[in-house]
Amino acid sequence: MPDLTLTILDPSGLHTRPAARFVQVASRFESRIRIRQGDREADAKSLISLLGLTVRPSSEITLIADGPDAEAALGALTLELGPYAVVTPEVIG
Amino acid sequence: LVSLVLVSHSRTLVEGLREMVAQVAGDEVRVTIAGGTGDGRLGTSAPLISEAIQAAIGGPLGRADGVLVLLDLGSAALSLELALEDLDPADRAIVRVSDGPLVEGAVIAAVEASVGGSLDDVERAAAGAMSLPKMVKA
Repeated sequence: MPDLTLTILDPSGLHTRPAARFVQVASRFESRIRIRQGDREADAKSLISLLGLTVRPSSEITLIADGPDAEAALGALTLELGPYAVVTPEVIG
Repeated sequence: LVSLVLVSHSRTLVEGLREMVAQVAGDEVRVTIAGGTGDGRLGTSAPLISEAIQAAIGGPLGRADGVLVLLDLGSAALSLELALEDLDPADRAIVRVSDGPLVEGAVIAAVEASVGGSLDDVERAAAGAMSLPKMVKA
């Protein structure tokens, strides 16, 4: 099951407008997509679920996609989050 | 798609809210408004609400998959009830009234509608806005 960890850059965290855009993009995919922050998870296709997660600035979120178009979904969502978040570089060692 | 109707005592309030909803959810979701009385005062008007609901349902070519009405306080519910009584049974069958908060409910419902959510989905999304915290506790 592919996943990807991102760091939120936007000083307001993942606020309503980008969260809404994110939900709209996620909904185009068949895969089940979740966002994990710490020990909490939200359904990436539900704005209420996403806003309930209250993603804060500088925090890390992990996108987890499960389904036939999982890789494509993660790609599209990372692109969509472009101005608001960057992929967290993996620590080697 | 499901359409939304925003009902308030103030026309200014629902005009502003419609603007906000369009910016968050995009302009594909049809959002109609009924704010104030027929003569421009604060209050609610059953005929204006009726018109807004009809416009939200749309004509035979652009008929909505459902309509969710969000409202503010007090007499809005009474005027809405009168407006609902006016509808044809076929129209009444696809119109639901949300228990959700007007502002948060409208924004969240519109996003759910924009991704093709059913009337059930949209209604659930708006109602869910009731439990959304205003501020995150530190």
